[in-house]
Order: sequence, then C-alpha cells, then structure tokens
Amino acid sequence: MSALLSMQAVRGGYGDADILQGVSITVAPREIVVIVGPNGAGKSTAMKAVFGLLHVRGGQILFDGDDITGWAPNRIVKRGVCYVPQVDNVFREMTVHENFEMGAFLRKGDLDAAYDRVYGLFPDLRAKRKALAGDLSGGQRQMVAMGRALMLDPKLLLLDEPTAGLSPKYMEQIFTITRDVRDSGVSIMLVEQHAKQALAFCDRGYVLATGANRHEGTGAALLADREVAQMFLGG
Amino acid sequence: MTFIDFINFHIVPGVVLGSIYAVGAIGITMVFGILRFAHLAHGDLATMGAFIALSTMGLFGASPWVGLPVAMIFAAAIAVGIDKTFYDYLRDRPKILTVMASLGVALMLRSVVQVVWGVDSTTYQRGIVRPDEYFGILLRDRELYTLLAVATIVIGLEAFLRKSKWGKAMRAMSDNPDLARLSGVDNRHVTMLTWAIVGALCAAAGFLLGLNNELNSMMGWHLLLPMFAAAILGGVGRVEGALLGGLIVGIAEELSVLILPGQYKAATAFVILLLILLVRPRGLLNGKVL
Repeated sequence: MSALLSMQAVRGGYGDADILQGVSITVAPREIVVIVGPNGAGKSTAMKAVFGLLHVRGGQILFDGDDITGWAPNRIVKRGVCYVPQVDNVFREMTVHENFEMGAFLRKGDLDAAYDRVYGLFPDLRAKRKALAGDLSGGQRQMVAMGRALMLDPKLLLLDEPTAGLSPKYMEQIFTITRDVRDSGVSIMLVEQHAKQALAFCDRGYVLATGANRHEGTGAALLADREVAQMFLGG
Repeated sequence: MTFIDFINFHIVPGVVLGSIYAVGAIGITMVFGILRFAHLAHGDLATMGAFIALSTMGLFGASPWVGLPVAMIFAAAIAVGIDKTFYDYLRDRPKILTVMASLGVALMLRSVVQVVWGVDSTTYQRGIVRPDEYFGILLRDRELYTLLAVATIVIGLEAFLRKSKWGKAMRAMSDNPDLARLSGVDNRHVTMLTWAIVGALCAAAGFLLGLNNELNSMMGWHLLLPMFAAAILGGVGRVEGALLGGLIVGIAEELSVLILPGQYKAATAFVILLLILLVRPRGLLNGKVL
C-alpha cells in the first residue's frame, strides 16, 4: 500500500538547534499511527514538522504525491492536512457551531454534509451547538477541536496529545471516536503520553527517543517488545 | 431638584455623552482585541472624521448628517492607509513600538487638521436648539438622533460580527489568533477589515461629539482617556463591554459635577480607569488581561 504521508530522515527544529535528528514516519490511507516516547523525544515536534511549523533542515516530507517540505501551514491545510494543537485548540468565546464554521472557513459551497458528518461523529455536541466552547468540559472541548479540524474534510488529521488531562472515561471516548474518524476515510497521526493505551488502540506505532526513531511496528508488537516496555511503560 | 430634573440635567446628557464614548471605545476594544495594541491615534482620527464631515456639509450646504457617511468612508480609508504606511512595518516587532508609532500618527493627524481647518473652535450648526419634551424627558433633536445613530451602529456591528463570515473571522482572530491562522484565516484581510471598521467608528464618534458640543483640533485627544477608560471598564475585546463602559463613564462624568467642581469632570474617567485596573483588571465583562 502506498503511503499517504512519508517523512524521510527529517531533521530540524524551531531555532538553530535540531530537535529532530532524522525521523522517518509513514502513514498509510485509513491508518491510525501513534507516536510515543519519553518527554523531550520530539514527538510533538515531529508532528509540527509535517504541518510546516518547523524549520526542516534535512530530509523530505511527502504527502499524497507532493513534496510538502517547507510549505507554509495555510498551504498544507488546503492540501488536506489538518492539525489539532494540544492546548488552546478551540475558539473559547465562540459557540460549538461557530467553531465548526471557522473550521470550514476555506471551504466554499454547501456545508450541510460536513456538519452532518461532524455532529454524527460527536452526537453529544449537537445539543450543545449553541454553547460557548470555553464553557464545555475538557473532553467535549477536545471533540470540538477535532470537529473543527474535520470540517475541512482532510485526508490526514494530526492530533497532538488529544487525551492530555482527560479522565479515563473521556480518553476511551476520544480513542473510539478517533477510530470512527479513521473508518470515515481519514488517516490519523497522533502523539500520545498515555503510551500503553494508545499503542493498544492504534494500527501502527513509532517510538521516538532523543529526536530519532527507536522502534516501530504494529501497536501489539510494540506492546510486546521488552525494550519498549522498559523504556517507559513502567517495566 | 426633582427626580425628573435629575434625569434631564444629569442622566440624559450622561447617556448622550456615554453613547459617543461607546462608539469610540468599541473601536479601541477591537484594535486591542484583534491587533493587540493600544491605539493612541484613535482620538485624533475622530477629530479628522469630524472635520471631514464639516467640509462635506459645507460642500453640499445640507444637514450635517450628510457628512457622517462620507466621513466614515474617508476615515476608514485613512485608517487602512495608516496601517499600511506605518503599523504594518512593525507587525513582527514588540507591540510597544506600534503603540509609540500610533502616538506619532496622532500628532501627525492633529497637525493635518490644524493646517487644513485651523485651530479655532467651530460648530456644525449655530443657534440655540430648544429641547422637545417626551413624557417629561427633555431631548434635543440632535441628542435623539445621536442615540439612534449609536444604536444603529452598535446593532449593525454586532450583526456583522455574529452573522457574517468575515465578522466571525474577526472574532476568531481576537479569540485565538494561532488557531484562526490554522483554520486558514488570512491575517492581512482581517487586519485591513478591522482598520476600515475602526476608522469608520472613529469618524462617527468625532462627528457625534462635534454635533453635540463643538469641533476643535484637540477634541479627539481629549476623547482618548474616557474612551480607553470605557474600553477597559467593559473588558478589553468586548464590544458589548465597550458600550456598557462608555455609558458608565459618560454618566459618571455628568454626575461628578454634583460633588466636584465642573473642571474635574474630565478626571472622572481617570479615576474610573484607575479603580477598574486595581479592582477588576479584566473589566466588567471579563475581557482579555492586559
């Protein structure tokens, strides 16, 4: 299967120092890929590199047949990649529905199908569509953030620690919804602190350490790997 | 003093003045919220708007109200031009530089007004206008129309911000600029649109002040403090807060003469500004922290 996204030996950082020292990650169509690793491994940084938020100084990022290395974020958005930041990922003073509208800002034409899809994925939000996003619970806010990103009908969705600070109940719910999103035809790249739970639900995983690939494989294989387990899964 | 006298001599002028402050304060709060700096040329842009309206009126020899839309359009264009000429170059620098630049722009605008229209006070219409009585409340026509104009401007602006695509983009940019950019909102378009609206609001504030008082080259500069007090009192970034803040400052100024000599009227805004910064820096309606 040809990859939708392919990062090849990407090096780069925010300033002069290279945080990524050669990261290679591929994401296939309709696949959930999880990136885990200890703090400072460059997980979020690798994701931001895809979205053009990083100075990439080496390697290549290919997406759906285009070399998107060095593209500006707004161009990457138009190409079909949407990014959900870890924090500040909703418009707090706007309603749930307005958040979705802003997600579709670049889209023209009839959006009814897009709204139906998002409210279908997040049925809880339909009743809250007129509520301010800032007044919602952390889990619901995360759903608004994902919904906003899905309004553009991306081919690839980048989720930066979507379960950070959420209760286990909401974490399960976010994972379930992420699977539903994948089944609706979207590839997902996801950075996670909760490595064990994330590897259990993903299709494939990458373990990064100090800005480079350490392990990769299916979630089950990584969970079974002793070295991975020792690294940060608590023995 | 009877209750109705109290209303007529203090509350009515306070509401009229406050609604004028509100129009200016809405512009200040929008610049604060979306572009994130304190715009010190706001008052002098209002002065210029007032004088453009005066010249328009002279040109057509008609009611001063003909000048309002013309002044709003001109001031919108001037504000966009000022941004492109000055502020845009400082966009990526610390915001205090833009604040200082806006002080320079204020002085330039005032000088242009003084060169073109002179330094003497003038009015749109001469003569004494007797107020009409509405259920015991005395209102001059110009006061009534001022309140109607302010209501129209506020309702129109709110509708634009709540219902239109670009109005929502402006709110999004004020709410979370990074996320707005991630959503594909073009910062430059929002900035231009904001200046156009802010310029038009400035002209409206200047015109209404000139209509109810007089025109002179310092009128806008003196408007600056109450406008800022109103914007911060209401909560930075909040249009409805600026409206509320403007009314409170206007009424407070008119009430201050009950306990203070009239010369201290202008100090009222300053006291309100100090108090709100001490007690509730986010403003009455929870605006942004400065």
